[in-house]
Amino acid sequence: MTEHGAARRPDHLSAVPPPPTDVGDLLRATARGDETAFGRLYDLVAPRVYGLIRRVLRDPAQAEEVAQEVLVEVWRTAARFDASRGSATAWVFTIAHRRAVDRVRAEQAAADRTMKVGVASVDTPYDEVVDEVSGRLERQQVRRCMDDLTELQRQAVTLAYYQGHSYREVADLLGTPLPTVKTRMRDGLIRLRDCLGVEVTA
Amino acid sequence: MSSTDVHALVGAYALDALDDLERAAFERHMADCAACRTEAAELRETAARMADSTWSVPPPRLRTEVMAAIGRTRQVSPAEPGAPQGPARPARWRRYSLAAAAALVLAAGTGATVYAVQDQRVRDERAIVAAAQRYEARVQDILSAPDVVVRTSPMRGGGKVTVASSASRNAGVVLLGADRPPAPDQAFQLWTVRGTTPTSAGVLAAGEGSAVHIVDGLPGNSGLGVTLEPAGGSATPTQPLVAQVPLV
Repeated sequence: MTEHGAARRPDHLSAVPPPPTDVGDLLRATARGDETAFGRLYDLVAPRVYGLIRRVLRDPAQAEEVAQEVLVEVWRTAARFDASRGSATAWVFTIAHRRAVDRVRAEQAAADRTMKVGVASVDTPYDEVVDEVSGRLERQQVRRCMDDLTELQRQAVTLAYYQGHSYREVADLLGTPLPTVKTRMRDGLIRLRDCLGVEVTA
Repeated sequence: MSSTDVHALVGAYALDALDDLERAAFERHMADCAACRTEAAELRETAARMADSTWSVPPPRLRTEVMAAIGRTRQVSPAEPGAPQGPARPARWRRYSLAAAAALVLAAGTGATVYAVQDQRVRDERAIVAAAQRYEARVQDILSAPDVVVRTSPMRGGGKVTVASSASRNAGVVLLGADRPPAPDQAFQLWTVRGTTPTSAGVLAAGEGSAVHIVDGLPGNSGLGVTLEPAGGSATPTQPLVAQVPLV
């Protein structure tokens, strides 16, 4: 196999191409049992996996536990990633988000979650203020695009995604009929998709 | 559910805002609808981008633990027979489907009553959400002020206190994250110090180990202290301080 040959190439022929830093490449290497590739994949996605789970759960200890489950699940099921159905990054965050939502629904009543809403700021803005380096541009882009949504779209989308509320709970919380909430979630995401230029080439 | 009804769920599906029953219905619908699969994939992709703004450095031990765990975790092969596809949870689905079906039947008859009972609770929750959103907006406003100054101090017993202070907003945000929450009958209390006089700037809930707290007028003070007090707080700070953040 070519990878095997490349790995054995002597040091003085250091024309070895730089290791892949693309999440998709790393995920494919992970699927072949490459622990080093998984380690690098970890470094690329773990802060967002942990940050997302922590944002939904608002409990650092639980977030750590769920993040571990998710990252091990990524290792275990890497072979199931199908590039025709979306990016590797989205595949990882879909697993992370669903696990976080499962946990939050199992353990915290909707009202408790809304009470704890302020704690969300513990991570995100802190990182934003303190960390000037990684992913700042992307974060700004997402935030800017969120600002383009209508108030109802933005609330429907963020209450569901960042707090793990079901659309029924969102309808209750916002005092808005169910069909409207369904529609706002859909057209809010569509607007966000167009603003971010997201495409899936099947 | 008609096909149009199901399709309208695509946004909620991408946000994981469906219950297990609805998700299964939607996934069945997608199996026969290529356009829906594409839309669902795009909206999932979009939802995943919302994780970009949640960046938070995990504790270093997480990496050690994950790397150790994968060493003893067998990987699935791409087409393992009978394996669940993607992040599906068949066990949970089986467990809930009967109960959920029963609940649907019941709900048809009792919906109105349930709604009346829940009405007050929902109003209360709505007020809480509105207040929390206002609070969060203020936090964001202070943190994004052009003149914000961020200072951090470790906490005795582990964790840290970060103070983001803005003179132009005449307020600061205190982000407190203790490694271990206090005992259930104890609470962290914040103090502003002007000269040598401490003034209480708020008490956390008993047993609460992390909080975001806005302190008005913070920039005029020389420091911010954190103490551990009996639940409900004290009139004067109990020594020693758990953390101290100088502001000048």
